[in-house]
Amino acid sequence: MLKRLSMTVLAACLALPAGALAEDLDGLTPEQLLPIAKKEGSVTVFSLSSRIAKIEKAFEDAYPGVDLIGLDMSSTKQIARVEAEQQAGVHAVDVLYIADTPVVFSKLVKENRVVNYVPPRIAGELEDRYKTPLLTQRLSTKVLMYNEKAFPDGAPITNLWQLTEPEWQGRVLMVDPSQRGELLDLLTEISLHSDEMAAAYKALYGKDIVVEDGLEGAGDQFIKALFENDLILLPNSDVLNKSIGDVNAKNPPVGFGTYSDRRDNEKEGWALQVANDVVPANGILFPAILTIADKAPHPAAARLLIDFMFGDDSPTGGPGFEPFNVPGDYAVRKSIADAADSVKLADLKAWTIDPAKTAAARGRVADLIITLQ
Amino acid sequence: MTSTSLLAPSGSRLLRSGFLLPAALVVIVAVLVVAPLARILLTTLTPEGMAAWKAVLASRLSANLWWWPLLDTMVLGFAVAGGCLLIGGFLAWLVVLTDVPGRRILGLMGSLPYMIPSFAAALAWGTLFRNSRLGGSAGFFETNGLAIPDWLAWGIVPTAIVLVAHYYSLAYTIIAAALGSVGADLVEAGQMAGAKRPRIFFGIVLPVVTPALVAAASLTFAGAVANFAAPALLGLPVRMQTLSTRLFGMIETGQNERGFVLALLLIVVSALFLFLSDRLVSGRRAFITVTGKGGRTKRFPLGAWRWPLFALAVLIGLLTTVLPVLVLAASSLAPQSGALFSNWTLHFWIGEGGGEIAQGQAGIFRNPVLIDALWTTIRLGLVVAFTTMVLGLALAYTIVQRKGTLLATVLSQLAFLPLLVPSIAFAAAYIALYGAPIGPLPSLYGTFALLVIAASAHNLPFAVQSGRSVLGQISADIEESARLTGASLVRRLFAIVFPLAIRGLFAGAILVFVKMVRDLSLVVLLFTATSPVLSMVAYRYAAEGFMQFANAITLVILVVCLAASFLAHSLQNRVQKWKES
Repeated sequence: MLKRLSMTVLAACLALPAGALAEDLDGLTPEQLLPIAKKEGSVTVFSLSSRIAKIEKAFEDAYPGVDLIGLDMSSTKQIARVEAEQQAGVHAVDVLYIADTPVVFSKLVKENRVVNYVPPRIAGELEDRYKTPLLTQRLSTKVLMYNEKAFPDGAPITNLWQLTEPEWQGRVLMVDPSQRGELLDLLTEISLHSDEMAAAYKALYGKDIVVEDGLEGAGDQFIKALFENDLILLPNSDVLNKSIGDVNAKNPPVGFGTYSDRRDNEKEGWALQVANDVVPANGILFPAILTIADKAPHPAAARLLIDFMFGDDSPTGGPGFEPFNVPGDYAVRKSIADAADSVKLADLKAWTIDPAKTAAARGRVADLIITLQ
Repeated sequence: MTSTSLLAPSGSRLLRSGFLLPAALVVIVAVLVVAPLARILLTTLTPEGMAAWKAVLASRLSANLWWWPLLDTMVLGFAVAGGCLLIGGFLAWLVVLTDVPGRRILGLMGSLPYMIPSFAAALAWGTLFRNSRLGGSAGFFETNGLAIPDWLAWGIVPTAIVLVAHYYSLAYTIIAAALGSVGADLVEAGQMAGAKRPRIFFGIVLPVVTPALVAAASLTFAGAVANFAAPALLGLPVRMQTLSTRLFGMIETGQNERGFVLALLLIVVSALFLFLSDRLVSGRRAFITVTGKGGRTKRFPLGAWRWPLFALAVLIGLLTTVLPVLVLAASSLAPQSGALFSNWTLHFWIGEGGGEIAQGQAGIFRNPVLIDALWTTIRLGLVVAFTTMVLGLALAYTIVQRKGTLLATVLSQLAFLPLLVPSIAFAAAYIALYGAPIGPLPSLYGTFALLVIAASAHNLPFAVQSGRSVLGQISADIEESARLTGASLVRRLFAIVFPLAIRGLFAGAILVFVKMVRDLSLVVLLFTATSPVLSMVAYRYAAEGFMQFANAITLVILVVCLAASFLAHSLQNRVQKWKES
């Protein structure tokens, strides 16, 4: 008993300065973090991508003595696990590598379950919107994709409203937005850009759009029209890519998918291509973020890892970023070059989501979709 | 003096066997099942939770969020349970009670489909029946000029068929175990009394295995109702939503409260049906067939029907077992998932890394994690199967012994519910409840123990249902004679109940083992060790788009499950030597 008590006291004494230290750690360079991280010995990361296995090797090569424990888990599971652990008073994970930002913002950020950290080494290189409230590492897409073999003259769609016309009835695909957050975010973004949707309507039909009662704007009207034009919902992006991209298809559908899946074209026998010249936009860019869990047991190693995952100053980002450097995904660091044969970030006609705004409007759009099913 | 010495032992025995076991079980079930459920219920009583109740039950959303999915779910549940009883029951009868040729191979094929993930069966369906609705390459029939209408390619009909093809083996396993206990003496008695064959079947065999039929129906119903892969793959393209796809979607898009409300409502509805089926069984007399004497199995001669019925059984096996396995195997060999039967390569199994294929990934047997994962998986499966069966046996024993009492009803209802709770909610509740130290008990967070406890609770229904169906047939007089000679409860369980019920127990243990080895969601939330289980390795590959590797791992899992079932089978034959006459 006495021994346990003294252990508790000892632990409390150790924990206090560690808490105070966490504030100071934010300003340290990787060289200054390393000795503290070595003392901590390890760092645990939940990762949305299984490519964390490659990061593990690269990180341990770069910083021997700090053991990286990587667990791949979907964003939803990460949120569930962190919430449950912290409710039980368990603080076991250090770093979250996570997407699904609207939910992260409305759950983890609001309840102070994560803390933001921006490595000083790269802070000057990033736009402000990528630094708060949480640090963005890279951007992924959900954009309009078509079959470039079946449509050799370019995308058959130049205005989103075309998708609601009889010609495309039953020929527009997307993964069910009531099943996957990113697609719900896409529709939410369309709803949030009602003015642009109204302008696009006028550009196509030469008259002002009439919005039905009960709908909030041209964006909602588009969503309704899309569903009523027999939008086909799918369970996952595998089925989507196969349906849109099949090189042998005669009259293939179009759909909202992931730009970077184009890199599998050759391997899978697809002809996926992004439809970029679309008004008002062809889809969304959404962030994958790196953040530190509240009361992380290894605060210095956590910071060292986040710093590492932003890569070095080379155009590829070096071993810390290379595993995530795929054409069609975009690094937020300006020194890392976009892939040569894909549309540059600046030229991609996609809206970049604002997670806070999306989070606020998402519930309403989710309800709208349910009534349209 | 004499009176006290007479009273004391009986008093303590009463305390030991009459009171202690049920009391302990009530506590265990409360901790394992009621507490997490209560926690999920509590999260729906917050303001957001109340809003979710309202949205689900009384708003403009309710029709699409609750009523239509409920209808689809119930139609699926009953259709699948019915189909499974028919096919599973037919095969079990054929294999156990007749002289059909090739019984061993038929039995093996009958127990396989449950070990193949249901998405494989759905994929197999797509390979044959996919039509042009989604674009992309059409299925076998349309390619060969046979137009497939939407209702046959997508929606509730194919979903039900695929789920029957997947779950009938669950029914087969349980019913076959129960039929195994229909002794030759019963059937011979019927024959001597001049009963015709249909009469023997409907008058003797069927009533005796009714508890097994009910157990099989409840488990297949629950399985169909909770299945996500098949309705998602085959239902979504025509906007068919079931409660499980709705529930998954709600949790996946961060609307947890609504998801939990749907889960709780699903539990209430299913519990209602279970309660009714319970009444159906307990309203009639129980038949004791396991008497411990002369338990040979009598086989009916099929005569001229021998080969036609064999052909029918083989056909069922081919369609539900060989076809999905073939699709899985092909997709682990084909470089392009769109062209399953061309350019086969063994690269995804044994290839060296660094080449052009699969971005330089080496084959699964060159993955150093694989062997580790294999052992972790087997260890986890065995431990959970064991703990679940011990707990399930104790529960089933108490439920059967006290049949008709309130205690038995409550226990049997509670023990059934975990199957319907979504794993992610279940696991989260477990971390929140037992992650922190409780009083003198240490925190279980991150321990193997927590995973085993949660998994045992989650798989309890298999153990209890299969245990009940067999225990219900064991004669009370053997146990009573043992009790009279002073055998303790533990001794009676191990010397009498266990050997007699072993068929049913192993049947349940296999189901738990298979579920545990295949199921990912519980493991991924509760497991903190870095050495992963096989399903996590498969997930890792699949998440990177390497479906071939993932399918290869699925086949490895299938082999592990098969090996386990062989082992169980040979063990049970060793224990029950008297069966082979």
